[in-house]
Amino acid sequence: MQKIPDRNFDALVTPTKLHRSLYTDPDIFELEMSRIWGEAWIFIGHESQVPNFGDYFTTNINHKVPVVMIRDKDAAVHVLHNRCGHKGAKVVDKQSGNVRGALRCAYHGWSYRFDGSLLKIPNQQGYEDTGFDASDPCYSMQPLAQVASYRGFVFATLSSTITDLVTWMGGAITCFDNLCDRAPEGEVEVAGGVLRYEHDCNWKFILENLNDTMHPMVVHESLVKAAESYIATLPQEAVEQRREAEIIPPFGASYENFENSGITGFEYGHHYDGGKTSIHADYSVDPDYHAAMVAAYGETRTREIYAFNTHNVLYYPSLTIKCAIQNIRIIRPVSVDRFVVESWSFRLKGAPDSMLQRTVLYSRLINSAMGMVGPDDLEVYRRAQKGLECPANDWVEFHRQYGKDRILADRVEGGGTSDLDMRTQYRAWKAYMEQGQQLGMKDA
Amino acid sequence: MPDLAAIEEFLYKEASFLDRPNLDSWIELYTEDAYYWIPATEDQTDPINHVSHVYDDRVMMEIRRRNFVHPRAASKDSQTRCSHIIGNVRIKEQSPEGGLLIESTQHVVVWYLNEQRIYAFTAQHELRPANGSFKIKSKRVNLINPDAAQKSLVIYL
Repeated sequence: MQKIPDRNFDALVTPTKLHRSLYTDPDIFELEMSRIWGEAWIFIGHESQVPNFGDYFTTNINHKVPVVMIRDKDAAVHVLHNRCGHKGAKVVDKQSGNVRGALRCAYHGWSYRFDGSLLKIPNQQGYEDTGFDASDPCYSMQPLAQVASYRGFVFATLSSTITDLVTWMGGAITCFDNLCDRAPEGEVEVAGGVLRYEHDCNWKFILENLNDTMHPMVVHESLVKAAESYIATLPQEAVEQRREAEIIPPFGASYENFENSGITGFEYGHHYDGGKTSIHADYSVDPDYHAAMVAAYGETRTREIYAFNTHNVLYYPSLTIKCAIQNIRIIRPVSVDRFVVESWSFRLKGAPDSMLQRTVLYSRLINSAMGMVGPDDLEVYRRAQKGLECPANDWVEFHRQYGKDRILADRVEGGGTSDLDMRTQYRAWKAYMEQGQQLGMKDA
Repeated sequence: MPDLAAIEEFLYKEASFLDRPNLDSWIELYTEDAYYWIPATEDQTDPINHVSHVYDDRVMMEIRRRNFVHPRAASKDSQTRCSHIIGNVRIKEQSPEGGLLIESTQHVVVWYLNEQRIYAFTAQHELRPANGSFKIKSKRVNLINPDAAQKSLVIYL
């Protein structure tokens, strides 16, 4: 394979094609980690994961850089580089928990306040008259360059120059609003645990798959057929079994159904499918939930909230959410051919337990490594990862409905089976990788 | 006192149906109201309000067994073979009606996607007497690492 020189990204991404090295070249992966993951706002966690003073949650902001999200006494939530200012040891090793008093390094006992500032060095007199300046921020646990939250969703970035979070989200921000507005109290909280799923392929495959509406009827055909053949054996009176099994067939919805759902893309690579309708549109509404919604919002506004029915929303590159299901997936690359997905569920505050139970059921069926949907998706990504080693053809194409995307002031709209999602994310990919280039919604 | 050898024999039979997967025979060992559970966290008490790796009732087991052999299930193209070692079998509870709660330690080597993996867990079987043998009312698989990132797994453990 011909080595692509740095900055010649025109040779890698065209409006309708991608070079296969985007999935296979470790050097491109490292560039992505610094130029995309080191620049974009990356989802860290939700404020409800650290409800009390001293609660913390750790993650990586890209393939390597460890960070800790921690709640301070004035209710502020900080995101700090998880590194001791002394010899560099990772300070907080556990995934989550509560710390009393101060963060303390396990190596030489340096301790830090929850805003990251240095509190105490054991036997500090040894530093006297050495030129060591304890107030230098480099000896603290440094906050990320920018940290912001929107309706409880905490993002951070390694970049001090990227635009603010709200501007960065653009029109895709309405999906966070919709997710939270689906709670009668207008707020959500993390509940019901997490699933972690290891993927042995390039991280971009799952982002491409989210709004790829040409795959479900193929990849998930066997599951739909299995459910249908089982349903056919059920006697009329098996109402409960039928109701449960009927969760499955929408995964094989028709091309027409998906086409009608539409895709909408934004600057910085965000996109969603649905809005007017989606495969989630026909889920029946729990009457108690509906009553709580109407009491909170009135009938008209409630209907409006339900009607904004997206399927998958991508906040490029690290987070995908399902508003109607209150479920999110967090992407964390590991290497050019490995990444991990975390799936978290949310409780709608003020809603009956049945809503969380539905979310948990959905996540178990779809997001579990031992589920009936995820393994088939991963299997086709794995095959793409292998097939793209073939030198016979250097290109992956995405022509579907090219030239028909409707370019509006703040977004691009197109058909639900179009490749608009590919065009949207790879325009952003290229702009990030070219560094300092203006992001836009038109192809250069 | 229930016959421990008969219980062990029954667990071995279940394992044999999973080792060279034959889910059509395997599912017959389960009652109509059975559950198969792999919790996603240690000591998980709630399968409804907390997510699990697997929490299948008979409906999902019936769909899974049909999907497992479907020619267009890409994740099932790879040959799947398992090898169960079952030890430390003990009777934890027994009810006057003959119901039993059995605990065992199991190590399963799974051959899938060109690699061998090991799953280690404590299995809890709720057994009901049936036709001189047993049926499984529920099976719970307590992995030693339920919180870890898991790889695709298309077979029951």
